[in-house]
Amino acid sequence: MRDRIVPVLRGLIFIVIGLVLCGVIFTIAGYSAPLMFQSIAEGAFLRPRAFEHALRWGLPLFITAVGVGISFRAGYFNIGAQGQFYVGAIFAAFAAEWLNGAPAVLVIPACFAAGMLGGALWAFWPGLLRLKSGTDEVITTLMGNFLAGLLLIYVTSGPLKDPSGSGQQASSRPLDAAYRISDSYGLSPTIVAIALCVGTAMWILVNRTAFGVLAGLAGRNARMIEWQGAQLYRLGLSSFLISGALAGLAGTLEFMGPNGRLASGFLPTHGFTAILIALVANLSVVGTAFVSLFFGGLASAALFMPIMAGLPAAAIDIVNAAIALFITAKSNAIDRLFGSRGRK
Amino acid sequence: MPATRDHPQPALRCRDISVNFGDVTALSEVSADFAPGMIHAVVGQNGAGKTTFARVAAGLIRPDAGEVIVAGNAVRTGNVNDVRQAGVELVHQSFALPPSFTVAEAMEFGASGSGFLYSRRKLEQRWQAHLESLDVKVDDRARVRDLPVEIQQSVEIARALVADAKILILDEPTAVLSPSGIANLFERIEKLKQRGVTIILILHKIREVLSVADTVTVLRGGMRVEGPIDCAGINAGQLAELIIGSAAPREINADDRVALTGAGTVAHAESHSADTTAIPMLEMQSVSTHRDAEGPALEDVSLVIRPHEIVGVAGVEGNGQRSLVRALSALSDLAGGTISFEGTDVTRKPLSGRRAAGLRVIPFERNVEGLSLSSALWENWSVRELLQKSLLALIKPAELRKRCAQALTSWSVVYNDVSQPAGALSGGNAQKVILAREMDDDARLILAAQPTRGLDIGATTFVWQSLRSARERGCGILLISSDLDEIFDICDRVIVVLSGRIVGDFSAPYDIAEVGAAMTGAVR
Repeated sequence: MRDRIVPVLRGLIFIVIGLVLCGVIFTIAGYSAPLMFQSIAEGAFLRPRAFEHALRWGLPLFITAVGVGISFRAGYFNIGAQGQFYVGAIFAAFAAEWLNGAPAVLVIPACFAAGMLGGALWAFWPGLLRLKSGTDEVITTLMGNFLAGLLLIYVTSGPLKDPSGSGQQASSRPLDAAYRISDSYGLSPTIVAIALCVGTAMWILVNRTAFGVLAGLAGRNARMIEWQGAQLYRLGLSSFLISGALAGLAGTLEFMGPNGRLASGFLPTHGFTAILIALVANLSVVGTAFVSLFFGGLASAALFMPIMAGLPAAAIDIVNAAIALFITAKSNAIDRLFGSRGRK
Repeated sequence: MPATRDHPQPALRCRDISVNFGDVTALSEVSADFAPGMIHAVVGQNGAGKTTFARVAAGLIRPDAGEVIVAGNAVRTGNVNDVRQAGVELVHQSFALPPSFTVAEAMEFGASGSGFLYSRRKLEQRWQAHLESLDVKVDDRARVRDLPVEIQQSVEIARALVADAKILILDEPTAVLSPSGIANLFERIEKLKQRGVTIILILHKIREVLSVADTVTVLRGGMRVEGPIDCAGINAGQLAELIIGSAAPREINADDRVALTGAGTVAHAESHSADTTAIPMLEMQSVSTHRDAEGPALEDVSLVIRPHEIVGVAGVEGNGQRSLVRALSALSDLAGGTISFEGTDVTRKPLSGRRAAGLRVIPFERNVEGLSLSSALWENWSVRELLQKSLLALIKPAELRKRCAQALTSWSVVYNDVSQPAGALSGGNAQKVILAREMDDDARLILAAQPTRGLDIGATTFVWQSLRSARERGCGILLISSDLDEIFDICDRVIVVLSGRIVGDFSAPYDIAEVGAAMTGAVR
């Protein structure tokens, strides 16, 4: 039991320390820290329907974060969730464009398949490079993010450009209402059901299959499992593909649900927040669900802060960054704080 | 304390030294006086505290209590610079020379570490003379990594003597050497003694102690049980008794006792002959591999292991033992030749296929290749089984945990909970977890690579008994060890590897001189 509680407490401590740091930063910058905390608390948790708002932002984050967790568990630091999220959305948008006019029962599944394929593809090449020639996946997936961002700009101002667009922000034609899986408010039974399915499937994969145990071992000590005859190539590449496919799925969800169109540079921090979530949740699937809700709450508070505290919406990025800062301290200082034992 | 000689002032005096690592007591109130100008041996089984003692004396570890007095002056404990200033130098068990440096560079920076600018020529002039004066025949432009271990060690000793060391401590210097290498080392040490250097040798083998040392100090369980006493006044049997102690595991037979302490040489393995008509468990025919970072290429290696047979691989470390195990485990590509298990060709099969056919591997590096230290015990234990399933096969962790607990208990592993990380176990217990995984009932051919390295006497004999009982069940076993006593004691046949070739094949009774000669390629 203690083994489960300690990581959760540890995650909470990052958040608390991060928030305190933010308070200091905003006070120095001349804002009111109490008002900021109040606006975060209200925006995230206290205002009417706060839970639904947290779900709207939290569910796509959860899907991406669970995928990130899969590749981290297997020992691969795939930080390309953002790019995989974009490529997933782009693939789904192309599928919707080509199949435009076909019945929704056909188009919607096809878009999801295309989105997951796109995300998986964007994780496939870094995975292949990593496993075939040892190219550092941190570099390749990071570059993949930039490539995907540029691709999104190209697609939204080229092949999928909305001719009636205002020109302020390049975007694709709005998705036909028949194909939308939610209104622009962003929460619908379909989205909840998808998130539940993903969560269940991934929980089973991690906790109840040979893959889960073996990938976990490979992540902690690849050489040991190699001496056991494991094919690291298969374990590693499937981890990359799963994490990419899930990020792509989240991209599809945002495209077909709340956004309803592909806009260049939409949700630019989605993938990075998901990485943060996976780390705070210590890569556990159940933990990721709760932490996603929390960060979903923060994301919805971002829209609330300018109104209440006169802070820019981007202030929430500082909150996230402050939390991220302390995640790196995880292995040393915090462990010592809890007196976790273990040799070396 | 009875003084061994009537010297007014010991060269090194340790008083009531205690060292704790967390909950583990490594040394407990150890006191010893080492007279100047002599060769002192410090002996004990693994885990007795020998290396900790050496490191305290050299200033690398600050003891929790006690003092170190060099030539009458107390030095600040745990301060390596002070201790070196006082003239104490340590030669490490695993050498500390940077592999990519040339000999001259290693000498320069190992000695003083001062200054930034240097000219290569000046360095070389300076150190070649020093090396020659110590009779170390090496080109000082050679890279450390290209030198044979024996020469590396000589360079390391030369490095330690640069600063005019008065006390030289060598931590298990013989562990990596061939018998003739050991003889050379001892000659070198004798010469140093004549130059007035006080030498403290951390040793493992009684045979070596009695052949080189003037006095011997015995540690057991972190305590000094005897010494320093004059080596002339003690025989191998008494010394073995002191090292093992009366509380040691009961069922150690006489040969094992001798092998454990190196009190003599076990000439006869227990009479045991494999059935030469049986289908070989392993048959390698002219196997060659490519040279890689992990060792020399195998060249034309042919080897047969039959059921009910333990074949030992002797050789100076780094002569292809790793390459051999990796080739058999399908972890390296063959350049030629075939490998078959029980008459079935497995040359093209990956490790998983070979494991399915009954291959089991106890890898060289227990904590890296054998276990994932930060993963739970049950995961470490069940990995072999899980790899035989498809990746998406559903598992029941609760059941795996239960079976793991049963297995670990039957292998008498001391642990708290199967969910605890493997890194929390002691070396002996960690090795037993590996044995529990690798020596199951379906095992046919077992590759045991350094299975007792670093283990104490109880765990070592446990491993030996396990290997013997696997042999009784009909397994074929390949035992790689750098401890000749171990090999002679439990192997039915011994092969010797040198530079990736098999250069000798011996059966009992073994002659340490003959095997030793084969290890270094000396023609006999």
